[in-house]
Amino acid sequence: MIANQVYFQGFPVPVALLDAHLSYVDFSNLWIDKFGLSQDIKGQSFFQSMPELPEELKMDIQYCLEGVVDNRSDQAKVVVANGDSIWYEWKISTLRSEEKEIQGVILVLDNITEKKLEELLLTKSQEVARIGGWEVDLVNSKLYWSKITREIHEVPVDYIPDVAKGISFYKEGYSRDTIARLVQEGIENGTSWDTELQLMTAKGNELWVRAIGEPEIVEGKCVRIVGTFQDIDRSKRAEIAYKKVSDRLAMATRSAGIGIWEFDIPKNELYWDANMYRLYGIKESDFEGVYSAWESCVLPEDQAESAKAVSDAIAGKGNFDTNFRVRWPNGEIRWIKAEAVVIRDEKGKARRMIGVNQDITELKTTKLQLVQSEESLQGAFENSSVGMALVALDGSFIKANQSLCKSLGYSAEELSKLSFQDITHPEDLEIDLALLQEVIDGKRTNYQIEKRYFNKKGQVVHIFLTVTAVKKINGELSHFISQIVDMTSKVEASNKLKGLLELTTSQNNSLLNFAHIVSHNLRSHTANLSMITSFLLDNETSVEEHQESLKMLKRAAGGLDETIAHLNEVVQVKLETGKRMKPISLSKMANKVLKDVAALINENKQHLTLDIPKELEVQGVPAYVESVILNLITNAIKYRNPERNGKISIKTQQTGEHVVLQVKDNGLGIDLDRHGQKLFGMYKTFHGNSDARGIGLFITKNQVESMGGSIAVESKVGEGTTFKVKFLMA
Amino acid sequence: MSKLERACIIDDDPIHQFGMKVLMKKLDFTKEVLVFHDGQEAIDALLDLLNVGDQLPSVIFLDLNMPIKDGWGFLDDFVKIPHHNRERVTIYVVSSSINPSDRERAVQYEMVSNYIVKPVDERQLRKLLEEVGE
Repeated sequence: MIANQVYFQGFPVPVALLDAHLSYVDFSNLWIDKFGLSQDIKGQSFFQSMPELPEELKMDIQYCLEGVVDNRSDQAKVVVANGDSIWYEWKISTLRSEEKEIQGVILVLDNITEKKLEELLLTKSQEVARIGGWEVDLVNSKLYWSKITREIHEVPVDYIPDVAKGISFYKEGYSRDTIARLVQEGIENGTSWDTELQLMTAKGNELWVRAIGEPEIVEGKCVRIVGTFQDIDRSKRAEIAYKKVSDRLAMATRSAGIGIWEFDIPKNELYWDANMYRLYGIKESDFEGVYSAWESCVLPEDQAESAKAVSDAIAGKGNFDTNFRVRWPNGEIRWIKAEAVVIRDEKGKARRMIGVNQDITELKTTKLQLVQSEESLQGAFENSSVGMALVALDGSFIKANQSLCKSLGYSAEELSKLSFQDITHPEDLEIDLALLQEVIDGKRTNYQIEKRYFNKKGQVVHIFLTVTAVKKINGELSHFISQIVDMTSKVEASNKLKGLLELTTSQNNSLLNFAHIVSHNLRSHTANLSMITSFLLDNETSVEEHQESLKMLKRAAGGLDETIAHLNEVVQVKLETGKRMKPISLSKMANKVLKDVAALINENKQHLTLDIPKELEVQGVPAYVESVILNLITNAIKYRNPERNGKISIKTQQTGEHVVLQVKDNGLGIDLDRHGQKLFGMYKTFHGNSDARGIGLFITKNQVESMGGSIAVESKVGEGTTFKVKFLMA
Repeated sequence: MSKLERACIIDDDPIHQFGMKVLMKKLDFTKEVLVFHDGQEAIDALLDLLNVGDQLPSVIFLDLNMPIKDGWGFLDDFVKIPHHNRERVTIYVVSSSINPSDRERAVQYEMVSNYIVKPVDERQLRKLLEEVGE
């Protein structure tokens, strides 16, 4: 019998004394509190008071009551009605009488659910975090590895490690040497470690682990080392990979001269990477890492604008993309291009700016030089005394400078609506286009020619043209640059000179001609006179011959007189023309002549067509122009082909500053190979015509030339003759 | 010195024709005188003579300055007559031109014996007859 006494009340553990029937004999207050019971349980059945207990506990109590064992301790869980698991820990002692008779049991019982959960959680978390434990017993030279540690090493569950083996799992080289050193130091000095090293697992996998070791010193001697292993392979590899990427980025940004910065707006914290300091030419230690520190680096003239760019970006008025200048401590000024994004919170408030800076000084300098060279090129283009134009591939003028406009009389705007083909003299177009095609075909890059344009008034402009091809970056032709030297004044001067030379030559020729006329034509008369006179003085001459000689004498004298009159006429033409030149209507003059010779035309059944513009005027002496037209018409009639109906056509043609009067007939024609040289000579006749005096064309030529013109002839025997008289336009 | 069978004057000037005829008659120069007014007329007539087997004149007085076909034209045509028919013909160019270039050009023709500047006088013609009549 157990005395009904209260002994356990104040025990600091939940403890109960149960009799052989498992009824409460005594219990501590803690018991009541712990299991939510009341003081009146005394005498009641233990199992009734706590119905939900682990089976293991019930069995242990039973064992102790039966005397199988005297002590029992264990822990186990029971799943209660609501599904919760409750962990209990117990210690049981058998209570015997002095006669060793079993009287009951003393039960210390605790609800360790919370503690157990924590333990479980720890194990779980160790498993999840892959943290394993180990312990080296230096006294017995034993190594213990926890389950996770074995797993990390990828060894079987029953693997028995030792210290040497443990170290040999570390990767040869740095990792193994390091752990060996750390263990050595730990043993000798008691220093702990926490390091990241590489393992080679039993299966040959390489693995990053975090190894922590804590030596335990007893009486100045290390008796054991306790530590953990953590598998950090993934995070380490991620870290290494990240480091690689960030190193790469750093290298890239550094070599590209790109600095990266981040600005925490509310905190006014400005973070710069190493490149930024390089870009601003300052040391990291000299930079305060706030907004104003950046601002003070910016050139004062640029501060307002760059500050506005920042505030605009924060205010959301656009991207931050601006250029400004910074002054380095050494005074050097650099151009910076800055770009950034603004990061906002969910309310849209700007929290941070992250951006880049780039040194664009060289770009800027190059651009400036480009602008300057473009400006000077533009200036050169506009103000060049040489005409210049940008010409499109189709020949249209893209742009023309003042000089070219002046030469051509067009405004730049008018020219831009024209192509060079529009204003090129038709005779020069073919060669120009052919050369241009060679440029387009890539056979040449430029060409130079002398050609003619027409100005706005339709007058000929002589130019020297240089065309150069301009290519695009991809090598295709873009346009042409034409340089146009206006040579009109030179050509005119040269033409004038040529004209003077021609005039001198022709005057020399007429002088020679005149000398020839004097020597030949006058001499033929004087020779005759001389011969006749000798007959008259000869006594042997018969009376008839004498008479005949006197007749001949008269005839010869008359011939001489006539020749001298003709010569005088020629001299007069040469001397007096200049004074009497005036504008003459060719049309009027031709009609006047036609009226005078109407009878002759009708008589010879000539069909005559006249086509001269009424307004056309030439510079000339009226009497000469009349004489020229008359002479050409009468010649055409005189040398008609009697075998067919005569046709005479008179028309004009304008070429530049000249008018060409053309008189064409279908008469006998002249053998120009034979007579061309002397056609316009004095006293030359070619047809044996009775009324040919050989004076008409000679006088005509002299008259035409004295008026600054020229006369030419085209003819074919049997087909007809065309005379072309060139007059100066009035 | 013997009288020629046939002589020829090619000249468009009637006064010169008259003068030559007077002088020839006086010197009893030839039995027959052919007169033509231009080169074309002359060459046509001479070719006609050859065609009928007649003899060409042994002397031709040729003027240079004539209409239709001048003296040069005549010479150019005359050269084309086969040599054996014209080898005994002597041509004298008779011109009023004292231009040396005319003389030089004339004597270039191998059948031109001499260049005589008008007026032709009796002494010249006699000397000429002596040369030709040998």
